[in-house]
Amino acid sequence: MSKSKEELLKALAEAVVEYDEDACKELSQEVLDNPNTLTPMEAVMNGLAAGMEEVGRLYDTHEYFVPEVLMCADALYAGLGILRPHIPKAEAGVNAQVVIGSIQGDVHDIGKNLVKMMFDVAGWGVHDLGRDVPLEQFVEKQLDTNSEVVAMSAMMTTTMLGMKKVIAMIKEKNPECLIMLGGAPVTKDVANLFGADGYADSAGNAVSEGIKMIGRLREFQASKK
Amino acid sequence: MAELTSKERVIKFFKKEPIDTMPVFSGMGTVVIQAVNEMGVKFAQVHTTAELLAGSALKSSEMCGLDAVVVPYDMATVAQAVGCGLTLYENSADILYPTVPNKWETLEAVDIPADFMKRARMPIVDEAFNILIKDGRFAVGAWQLGPFTLAGQIIELGLLLKGAKKNKEAVEAFLTKMTDIVIESIKHYESLGVDFLNIREMGSGTDLLSPKMWNSLIQPHLTRIFSALKTPAVLHICGGTDMIVPLMNQCGADALSFDQKNTLAKTREVVGNDVIVLGNFDPYGTMVQMENPADVETVVKKCIDDGVDAVWPGCDLWPDVKLDNIKAWVKTSKEYGKKRSPVIGRI
Ligand code: B12
Repeated sequence: MSKSKEELLKALAEAVVEYDEDACKELSQEVLDNPNTLTPMEAVMNGLAAGMEEVGRLYDTHEYFVPEVLMCADALYAGLGILRPHIPKAEAGVNAQVVIGSIQGDVHDIGKNLVKMMFDVAGWGVHDLGRDVPLEQFVEKQLDTNSEVVAMSAMMTTTMLGMKKVIAMIKEKNPECLIMLGGAPVTKDVANLFGADGYADSAGNAVSEGIKMIGRLREFQASKK
Repeated sequence: MAELTSKERVIKFFKKEPIDTMPVFSGMGTVVIQAVNEMGVKFAQVHTTAELLAGSALKSSEMCGLDAVVVPYDMATVAQAVGCGLTLYENSADILYPTVPNKWETLEAVDIPADFMKRARMPIVDEAFNILIKDGRFAVGAWQLGPFTLAGQIIELGLLLKGAKKNKEAVEAFLTKMTDIVIESIKHYESLGVDFLNIREMGSGTDLLSPKMWNSLIQPHLTRIFSALKTPAVLHICGGTDMIVPLMNQCGADALSFDQKNTLAKTREVVGNDVIVLGNFDPYGTMVQMENPADVETVVKKCIDDGVDAVWPGCDLWPDVKLDNIKAWVKTSKEYGKKRSPVIGRI
C-alpha cells in the first residue's frame, strides 16, 4: 500500500526531525515513484522544510542542541539532493540567487550554514563562499553571478565592522544589489546603520526577509519606470 | 598593612591566602593596541616573535596596571604546529586575531606529529614565557584550549558535533588524543615555571552542547587534565554556562571563570565558598564601547557584589580598548575589592 499525501508529508517531516538520513532518502524516492501523490516541490516545502521548522522549535525550547540540528540538516539535504533535480525551474519559487559567507577574520560558520540551508530549501541559487571570506570576494562573487542578494554573517562584534566596508564596496559597484546581515552581535539597528537592506535574527526568518527585500526592490524599480 | 607585589598578590590569591586587595588580571589575552602602537609594530606582527609577544604583554600590563601577563593571544598555536597553517591578516587595516586556514576533513586523516611542541610558533611561546618569568614583576599565566575546543581548531567542528551522536567511539578516541596534547603542552608550561594556568573549553557551552552531552563528552577529559596539574588552574567557558555550573565544578579546577552570559550571583550560590569564581564582564561591551568610565565602575561593582573573587573579562580583552575604561576596572577592583571576597580573605 502506498502512502497518502498526508502520510508521506508527515513521514518526511519526521525523518528530518529524527535526523534519519536513510529514511529521508527512501521517502524522497517514494515521492518520485508516486508522482500522482505529491510533487517534489510540495515534498520539499511541506515535508522537509516543515520538519526543519519543528527542529527550530525544538532548538528554541532547548530540547535540541546544535549537534541534533546539524544532523537534521544532513537528513534534509539527503532528501533535497534527490528531490531538487526534479523540481521544474519555473516552480522553484523566487528564482533568485544569493552569495553567502562569514566575514573576514570570523571562522564561526555554524549559523551561516543553517541560513544557507534555508535558502537551498527555498530553491534559491546559493553561492557559499565559506568562512573567513576576504572582503573583496563578496564583491567579486556578486558581480560574477549577478546575484540579487549578498548575505553576510559575523559572530564577533569586531569582525562585524568588516561588513560595513563590504556594503560600501558593493553599493558603489552595484547600487541595486541587496544586502542582508545576520549573526549574534548584529541587530536590526546595526544592519540599518551599516546601510544593509535586510536583517534576520535566525535561519528561519532569513529567507522570508530575502524575499521581502526583493519585493521592495521590484516595487521601487517599477515605480521608477 | 604590607603592600604585596603584583606577582605575590596573584600567587597568594590562588593559594587562597589573605591578600591586601583584589588582584586585577585575566587568564586570557590582555594585550592592548596602545601598547602595540607604542612599540611601533602592527597587531599582526606581535604573534610572530618571542620578544614582541612578551614585550607587548609586559607593556600592556604596565600601561593598564594589571597584576599578570598572559601569552599567547591567539588560539591557533597548536593547530599551526600540527600542520593546519596560519592566517595572520598582515594586510588588513583592522585588528584580527590569527586563525587556522586548513582543517582536516575527517577524523581519520588527522596526523599529529610527535614533536609538535617544537614546531611552528611553539618555541616562540616558550621563549616568551621565559622572558616574562625572568622579568619577574607580574604573575605569569599560561593557557591552553580544552580538548573539545582544540579539536574544533584542527577539524571541522560540525564533524565533531555530529560525530558525538553518530560516531561516539571515534569522537571519544579523538578527544582522548586531544586531551593528551593539552596535557603535554600545559605540563610543559608548568615546568617552565608559570604561576597559574587556564583551560579554556570555550566552544563547549550550552550554546552548542546539552548539559547531558557535556557530562559525557567533555567532563571526563577535563577531569583528567586538572588531576594532572600541580599549578593552580582555572576552567573557563564562555557563552551559555548556567546549566553546567555544577558539572564544571566537579572537574577539579581551583577556579571557575564565566562570561557575561552567566548569572553569577546564582552560580556563587550553587558552588558555595570553596572554589574561586572569576568573571564576568563583557570585554567588548565594557572596555571598548562604554563612553563613560563611571559605567565601567558600575559593571565591576556588580561583578563583585555577585560574588566573584576577582573581576575577569568574559573573554580576551578586545585590544582596541579605551584606557580610561581599563583604569576604571583596575581602580574599582582595588578599592571596592578591599573587603574580602567569598573565598579570599584580606591581610
Ligand atoms: C561555536 C563557537 C566558536 C567555535 C566556532 C566553530 C565554527 N565552525 O563555527 C570556535 C571554538 C572555533 C570559536 C572561536 C572563537 N570565538 Co566563538 N563562539 C562560539 C559560540 C559558543 C557558538 C556560536 C554558534 O555556532 N551558535 C549556534 C548557531 C546556530 O547560532 P548563531 O551562530 O547565532 O546563528 C544563528 C543566528 O545568529 C542567525 N545568523 C547567523 N549568521 C547569519 C547570517 C545571516 C545573513 C542571517 C540572516 C542570519 C544569520 O541565524 C543562525 C541560525 O538561527 C559563541 C557563543 C554564542 N552564544 O554565540 C561564541 C562566540 C561567538 N565566540 C566568540 C569569540 C570571541 C571567539 C574567539 C575570538 C575566541 C575566544 N577568544 O573565545 C574565537 C575566534 C574565532 C574567529 N576568529 O572567528 C564570542 C564573540 C564575542 C563578540 N561579541 O565579539 C562569542 C559570542 C562567545 C563569547 N561570549 O565571548 N567560537
